[in-house]
Amino acid sequence: MERAKSRISSSNLLRRKVGQGIAFGLFWLAAAVAVAALLFIIGYVVVQGSQVINLAFLTTRPAGGVSGEGGMSTTIVTTIYLVVLVIAIATPLGVLAAVYMVEYASEAERESALARWLIRIARSGVEILAGVPSIIFGLFGFALFVSFMKLKFSLLSAGLSGACLVLPVIIRTSEEALKAVPRSYREGSLALGATKWQTVVQVVLPTAAPGIVTGIVLSVGRVIAETAIFWVTLGGSYRLPTGLLSSGRTMALHVYMLASETRAFDKAMGTAAILIVTIIVINLLINITSRQLAQRVMGKQ
Amino acid sequence: MSETSEQYKDIPALAGDRRPWVVTAIAALFGLAAIAAVVGGLLLDVRPAVLPVGGTIGPLETALAGLVIAGLCLLVAWGLWRRRNWARTGVLLLLGLGTLYYWLTILFSVSAQIFGGEQVSPWGEIGAAVGMGLLRAIAVGLVPGAIIYALVRYEPAFEDNPGQRTFIDHAVRYLLLATALSAILIVFLIIAFTVSESWEAIREVGVDTMLLGTVWRPGSIIGTEDAQFGLVPMIVGSILSTFGAVVLGVPLSVSAAILLAEVAPPLVRETVRPAIELLAGIPSVVYGLFGMVVLAPLIRKIQVPYNSGFGLLNASIVLAVMIIPTITNIAEDAIRAVPRSYKEGSLALGTTHWQTIRDVILPAGRSGIVAAIILGIGRALGETMALIMVIGNSIAIPKPLTDNPLTLFLSSARTLTGNIAVEINYAAGAHRSALFFTGVLLFIMIMLVNTLARGFMRRRTPA
Repeated sequence: MERAKSRISSSNLLRRKVGQGIAFGLFWLAAAVAVAALLFIIGYVVVQGSQVINLAFLTTRPAGGVSGEGGMSTTIVTTIYLVVLVIAIATPLGVLAAVYMVEYASEAERESALARWLIRIARSGVEILAGVPSIIFGLFGFALFVSFMKLKFSLLSAGLSGACLVLPVIIRTSEEALKAVPRSYREGSLALGATKWQTVVQVVLPTAAPGIVTGIVLSVGRVIAETAIFWVTLGGSYRLPTGLLSSGRTMALHVYMLASETRAFDKAMGTAAILIVTIIVINLLINITSRQLAQRVMGKQ
Repeated sequence: MSETSEQYKDIPALAGDRRPWVVTAIAALFGLAAIAAVVGGLLLDVRPAVLPVGGTIGPLETALAGLVIAGLCLLVAWGLWRRRNWARTGVLLLLGLGTLYYWLTILFSVSAQIFGGEQVSPWGEIGAAVGMGLLRAIAVGLVPGAIIYALVRYEPAFEDNPGQRTFIDHAVRYLLLATALSAILIVFLIIAFTVSESWEAIREVGVDTMLLGTVWRPGSIIGTEDAQFGLVPMIVGSILSTFGAVVLGVPLSVSAAILLAEVAPPLVRETVRPAIELLAGIPSVVYGLFGMVVLAPLIRKIQVPYNSGFGLLNASIVLAVMIIPTITNIAEDAIRAVPRSYKEGSLALGTTHWQTIRDVILPAGRSGIVAAIILGIGRALGETMALIMVIGNSIAIPKPLTDNPLTLFLSSARTLTGNIAVEINYAAGAHRSALFFTGVLLFIMIMLVNTLARGFMRRRTPA
């Protein structure tokens, strides 16, 4: 009891306050080091990289070779193609899966034990998939799409592998968005005589749309930032892809290949700078859409 | 009933039992298409060609194809004429997807013209290419667009019976269950394919040799028979680089988390928290590039023989910077999740803020913070490309360069992930199979780490 009292008595208040000052001072220092390190790295790359960026750099294609001549135009276009492909494959699959989990699963769980078991392994599947590192997705894509299905290094292999990668993200965010739709919406629609499916398509999905879009934008950011998975499924061709089965190179891959195969570190910095700016813009988009979503939800309340 | 329908026959929403003339026109269009298909099938002179799946196309096949297409068109025409919903949805989907596909090919060719060149295209050329592309897009989309517009506008004219609605409802239920199972199907496929690809290595080389062997020398590089596939150097490399990242990164990120959750004024929190979330999304190659260009020369300044600047120290710094956002975000959430009553009770007893944090909040949020650290470890173990750029990629087990044991971190190394990425593109046979085994090993390690983290997350103090 004496010891406990001595920990909080007024006599050692000064000592305790000094201890707090030291501890908090260290924390501020540590946090400042962490944030400063991150910002310094980003800032350094952007500043160094912007020295290389001009219109020619952005619209001419890489010329290959050890000196790393040329620009990065084909990498920008390939990245856009890949993003669109991944989103086109993963979004319907992910959103529909989330719709089932939120709207139909509880009913099915009540009906049969088989359904309960299926739904449980479906949920754990999403969790497991979310934790797999991207090189494993790359390896899997290499084994299944590039070798087994003989799609070779192509946009299609990379797109399918990338869709597997972002599927958990889309399922999770869509589930959140769908759960946030008030029950009264669904009940009102059903009371008017609509079927469950009609309710989902015409009432629930449009209301949940901003949240689902946030998930899609998150996946876009993920695809742009990923390297390992596309290194193993897309190949490294610096030419413009002419179809779904042609090889290509994304911006992140271009940075890696310039840095490891050529001496053109300045061009690598330039590409990296463009990458960083793109991610920042996408992040702003995410913030805007999620703020819109929050406003909507609060407006209803 | 028919008199009122007469009055409102021009208003789509009230068309009711009447068939709008537009729909009849579209049905007639499909009828014409049927005739054209039959005639084309008979008359079209296609050179006998070989299909990729085997078999040839000759005049007989074209005639048959024409008949099949004609049959489908007649079916659709009848469906539209009888105002069936399936016909309408089918036509909408077909025309919509077809137009999209054509627009995509136009996009491909336009971008090839603008971006594919070796020199900057002059603005005139760019404008011409874009203009031509737009013209083609409009030309292709005109007729399908008109049909789609008409079908969408006249939707109420198509029948809507309860039997059809319940059928769709049931069909949809099973379809959706299938999509929900897609994630677990992918997990299953991943396991199946990686394990089956690694089977050759397991059979020929043996799991014990790979897990305990200390030499990695794939025969396909040297071209000799004695290939050795020992993974110990890579396992050591992964563990040491992760250890270094944890030592450097965890104190910084946990401090930042405590700061943001408890100590910092709201203004600081409002700016720093989104910044850290942004930084979590920066591509890892950027950090790797920084490590190559800035950190390596700096580290090389340490006067130790064989210090190339690339090695475990470089990798630890780069990894630490990468896992800081991850750990900070989750740890901060964990600290914030501690019930306010704990904090208020402690403060009411007269402790300082720091005492409260140290003795009450941190122990209460301990499992969440540990979960955050474990997730950071998982991220560090799974990182590939950035580490390849800075860690040196030597195949030997990392050893201290001098008598000072700390110089262990100046030595070059290779991680499990790096091993896969560097060699997979040209590996063959048992070598490639061994790389897939590395992938299986990695998968198991990270599954264990994630399960551990999930276990800690669940033990958090309920709010």
